[in-house]
Amino acid sequence: MSNGTATRVAARNGALLPGASTRVPVAVVLAALLFGLGAFAPVHLASEFVLRIASGGLLLGMLALSVAFLMCQAGLVALGAASVYGGVGYLFAIAMSEWDLSPTSALLFAFVTVVLYSVALGALIVRTNPLAFMMLTLAAGEMINHGVMLEALRDYTSGADGLVVNFKGAILGMTAADLANATQFWPIAWSAAWLLGLAAYAVRRSRFGAILRAIRDNEERMRFSGFDTYLPRLVAFVFVNAIAAICGLLHVLNSGFVSPESLGLGVSTNALVAALIGGVAGSTGPIAGGVLFAFAQDQFGARGFTQLLTGVAMVVFIVALPRGVVGSLVEAARRNLLPKRGAR
Amino acid sequence: MLEIANLCVSYGRVRALDGVDLTIRGAGALHGIIGPNGAGKSTLLDAVTGRRPPSGGAVRYRGQDITRKSVRWRRRHGMARSFQRTSIFTDLTVREQLTLVARHLRDDRLDDVIEVMNLGEWLGEKAGRIAYGVQRRVDVALALIGRPELLLMDEPGAGLSAHETLSLFQHLRDLVRERGMAAVVVEHDVDAVFACCDVVSVLDLGRHLATGSPAAIRADSRVIAAYLGSAA
Repeated sequence: MSNGTATRVAARNGALLPGASTRVPVAVVLAALLFGLGAFAPVHLASEFVLRIASGGLLLGMLALSVAFLMCQAGLVALGAASVYGGVGYLFAIAMSEWDLSPTSALLFAFVTVVLYSVALGALIVRTNPLAFMMLTLAAGEMINHGVMLEALRDYTSGADGLVVNFKGAILGMTAADLANATQFWPIAWSAAWLLGLAAYAVRRSRFGAILRAIRDNEERMRFSGFDTYLPRLVAFVFVNAIAAICGLLHVLNSGFVSPESLGLGVSTNALVAALIGGVAGSTGPIAGGVLFAFAQDQFGARGFTQLLTGVAMVVFIVALPRGVVGSLVEAARRNLLPKRGAR
Repeated sequence: MLEIANLCVSYGRVRALDGVDLTIRGAGALHGIIGPNGAGKSTLLDAVTGRRPPSGGAVRYRGQDITRKSVRWRRRHGMARSFQRTSIFTDLTVREQLTLVARHLRDDRLDDVIEVMNLGEWLGEKAGRIAYGVQRRVDVALALIGRPELLLMDEPGAGLSAHETLSLFQHLRDLVRERGMAAVVVEHDVDAVFACCDVVSVLDLGRHLATGSPAAIRADSRVIAAYLGSAA
């Protein structure tokens, strides 16, 4: 390769752009400031009611992140996110009330059980085509949803009444009352959203993320390049279910209650719509989409417009704004702020 | 290097390959496969590379029966292929996809492949946005990574002009000689095949018609009757 060509290639990759070396530290400082500000400012500025809606939005956003990650990286749409989200809450409640496990042990038990369930389910379904995968996740979710309503399990699940989760002791120094308090729960939900968002970002940027995208893009070529195309999809499925499980545990710790409603298709579709509203391509979009959805639901839900809102949002964001709110803003910023290619 | 024995592939009642026997000999030779549409050329490549399981016969690679081996196994043991319809990762940059495959196959001489396929200028571009001719070079580059011993290409000249096809074939011939690998090329453009290949095989209606040097094939009366006609 000639020197001229090498220079052009490096410039295209951003290596020679002015300020490239300082861009990362500036971004890290800004992100740290945003994180600190977001964790503590709302606690002092917002009412408890608003904080409660925002926390619920963050939880929905994290669930949306799990759906969006699999959709964007592996080309698979899962409609069973709620079965993990609600299921982990049931396991946590049952482990404490029936088996007298400590809250921390019950959390670990619930999380590990859901991960093992994800491995088993994923092993069966990630080989299938995207449509079959979507229907199978829906079927598995609905089976679990109806399973908790079975009369034979009523002693454990309390059927349609749901379970009150009121644990004794503390988790990471916080009692049940602390976790139910909106001002104390907000920094936890905010931190979890950042951690899960960064984890998803790190996986996307890793070699594993590139392998997932390549499999989504052209599975046959991947096999003809010597790659196993099954295991990466299974790992991705387990990864997103681990995100949904963390999200479900935070939900049950905050609300102190778990019911069949949290396992229902409605929660899964809300997560999907939240991801579409925010934008599925990154970590910020789905999480922001969850918060937007929660506030919109609060505005319109009381008037009975939730289903209408969901339908309109899906049409608008799929047809008019396929990148979602965050994706569209990022694209507009790129167009207007970055120097145009070829400009001197 | 590669022995194909009595290979049969059926699509329902249609026999796309009907007992093909063919031997691809040693390194440094470019072996062209030609034949009319429906002769079974692409099916032969698919059966040899594991894309389509044969209904009968055997494929032996370096003396080992690989008829039931997986695609991954074949690739990891030195058998690579490119496709008639360009098969690349359109959502990744050229650099991302080449690096991904090179790291997986532990090939630390990726720069050679980039230089040989003249892709240096396009490394930062998403593969879906580059010109078709460059995409075809990326397709071949993906097959060249890992220093395969046997390279099978299905119509690498598809979509290219006659001049571009000839140039690509000359490039491939030099590459095969320089790297000491064996290569099989299925191609419609008989001029490019006769100009650059060391050995040519002809298929017709799923059967092996003839194998020989380009000159011998041009003069073969069966090949002229079945395929070349006045073009010979």
